Amino acid sequence: MTALARHRALGILCGLCVTTFAASARAQEAPAISLRVFGQVAAQRFAAAQSFDANFGGNVDPFYGGGAQATFRDRLFVEVGASRFNKTGDQVFVSNGQVFHLGIPMTVTETPLEIVAGYRFHPRRFAWLVPYAGAGVGTYRYRQTSAFATAAESVDVRTTGVLAVGGAEFRLHRWVGVSADAAWSHVPGILGADPSVSHDVGENDLGGFAGRFRIIVGK
Amino acid sequence: MRRSAGGLLLLFAIVIAGALVASGQTRSPLVILDVGLPAIDQDTIPDETHRPASPEAIRRAGLHADDDLVRTGASGRPFSAGRVIVKFRDEASDVARASAVHSVVPSGVRQPRAADADFEIVTIDPSENGEAIAAALRARPEVAYAQAPYRVHATFVPNDPHYADLQWNLPLLQLESAWDIQPQAGSAITVAVVDTGLAFHNATLDANIRGFVDETGAAHPALGHQLIPYSAADQIVGGGHAARIVAPYDFVWNTTDPLDFDGHGTHVSGTVGQLTNDGIGTAGVAFNVKLMPVKVLASDWDVAFGGSPFVGGSDEQVALGIRYAANNGANVINLSLGSSGPSNCGAQPNQDGCSPVIESAIRYAVGKGCFVAVAGGNEAEVTDPKFGLNPTSVVAEIASRVPGAVSVGAVDRRAVGQTGTRRCTGAATLPDCHAYYSSFGPYIELSAPGGSERGFGRDGFVWQQTFDFTFTDTFLLAPADYRPPRFDVMAIVGYLGTSMATPHVSGVAAMLMQQGIKDPAAIEAALEKFAIDLGAPGRDDTYGFGLVDARAVLRGLGLAR
Repeated sequence: MTALARHRALGILCGLCVTTFAASARAQEAPAISLRVFGQVAAQRFAAAQSFDANFGGNVDPFYGGGAQATFRDRLFVEVGASRFNKTGDQVFVSNGQVFHLGIPMTVTETPLEIVAGYRFHPRRFAWLVPYAGAGVGTYRYRQTSAFATAAESVDVRTTGVLAVGGAEFRLHRWVGVSADAAWSHVPGILGADPSVSHDVGENDLGGFAGRFRIIVGK
Repeated sequence: MRRSAGGLLLLFAIVIAGALVASGQTRSPLVILDVGLPAIDQDTIPDETHRPASPEAIRRAGLHADDDLVRTGASGRPFSAGRVIVKFRDEASDVARASAVHSVVPSGVRQPRAADADFEIVTIDPSENGEAIAAALRARPEVAYAQAPYRVHATFVPNDPHYADLQWNLPLLQLESAWDIQPQAGSAITVAVVDTGLAFHNATLDANIRGFVDETGAAHPALGHQLIPYSAADQIVGGGHAARIVAPYDFVWNTTDPLDFDGHGTHVSGTVGQLTNDGIGTAGVAFNVKLMPVKVLASDWDVAFGGSPFVGGSDEQVALGIRYAANNGANVINLSLGSSGPSNCGAQPNQDGCSPVIESAIRYAVGKGCFVAVAGGNEAEVTDPKFGLNPTSVVAEIASRVPGAVSVGAVDRRAVGQTGTRRCTGAATLPDCHAYYSSFGPYIELSAPGGSERGFGRDGFVWQQTFDFTFTDTFLLAPADYRPPRFDVMAIVGYLGTSMATPHVSGVAAMLMQQGIKDPAAIEAALEKFAIDLGAPGRDDTYGFGLVDARAVLRGLGLAR
């Protein structure tokens, strides 16, 4: 390690110490409970990438939603969020890794309802920045319909999954903030049934990695 | 009414006479005059003679000219005498090719290569052993393969209409819901039916009927020149649908007029694409497809008219037919034909008894984007003197090795009503549904309805429009009653055989092509993937991957189901 690198590392360490102590002080100033609402847009890369590629021609898609969050002394938080994904692709079959499109419309709607609890950090040096991390559980409703499907071939199920999030909130105003975070979710139990494209390509997780952007109203 | 009919007949006679005068003085064994009256439609007839091994089927197959030009060599497969099929290596010069032929068979003459062929025909003295000469040619470095022209025959077993009351076979493939998905039913697709031809236009035949001896030894006298009425199958080309016929060709007579004098090709074509929803007769699978009749199999009347020494065809005719179809825009090729031979042609294709010329043609066609469906064979209960019980169907075995070509076995009506994932397993409520005649082996890839009379009588047949055999198969009558045939009386007739199973697969493949899947190998993969598993779990030698499911294959899969 060069002298310059050592100097930078020491600086960062000192900064973290300052922000931690400052955060403790800020926490003592914060209200006991604060309620906020948020609107959210997310771009999720589905874990079942091959399946989504086959049926939709891509595996990164938007979710739109919103929710409410309660913070406790601006440290702990619990939130409930709901979002929705809806897209129309087509029925296909996969042979030797090649996808053959049959031109029959197929629409999928996914509606996650998620509860997340976590911790908010308050670095003193960057008072306008609130990093946070959390984990939670969700219930995921999945609906799939397609032209010419019988009732047995349509899908309308709900299952549970888990998720973890980490990101940071930026205060734009006393009552308004924005946040950006990354979320990982694991949602088994919907994909992978035989027969299905997801079964054929060996994928069974409806979750994935998402980049989320929120507008938050509330202290 | 009677007066107008009489007038019509008089006018018809005048037109025929005029056409005959116009045709000139030199008379060939068969002149097809492009004038004729529409068919008389007999609806269903109780003809049960078109089933495998019926006495009538044996007699039909046994008709032959006085010349005995079929030999059976060491391989045990019959072949046409007087020629061998040779494929020279591309790098072999013309001189080297001639030298190779001369060194093996000095009397051999290389014939001009046919337009659709990548192989040559070398004519030899008919008394020489074609198989032995082919073996000697194979030993030459200039030769890629050489074979005797093995005989092939239609794999049918015919017999009697009407979608609701007779066609148990179409609903078995889930076709009603498949038609909902694909109402065009193949309108942009051309299916070549490489068979005995097709009754696709009205005509009058001026034929010279030669004498012949049938299988029972009964001699049928020569009838000389006869005017024979011939009509189109109105349920295939009626109602202004003549334009659906594309690029017809006859490799028996080497003309562009492959009229069917047997009924097999017309019946098979009907299963592929009989006009449907017209309120008449029966339905077809892909009822809007274009049809390419390619005649490679001679019928009894082709023999009697002098166009062929034998009923059936030979390997080079089939190969030419396949290549012609591929070169002229066919998307799907239906081969309801076959011949028994060695079971190991996959390991040793260049041995006596194998048909590399057909394999090469099938690979060529698939390479040009044609999906090929081949009958699996009707020999399950047949003991071949050389190949034993249930001999391998050589052409079907080839198809099993070519991605994009499939061999098709037959199921019977016992499959109707069975549901779930364990069908035709032989349990009390899930009876075996293998058609008794359908050849089985590792080369069977798919199953489709071929029918069976056992347990069902006439209700077990596969029904389509073709000739009323009462009027065509006059050679089945006592010699004293023998008379010229009429090909202007149509009926809905029941047939049995893997010949009948195969066009179901061709029709579904045509619908899948219209759905956008053009790659023959992908079509095969889809048909096999979505097949309803029958019998033992997974692929098996009796049913292959199972019964074709037209709805499932056209609908494909979604993300989660």
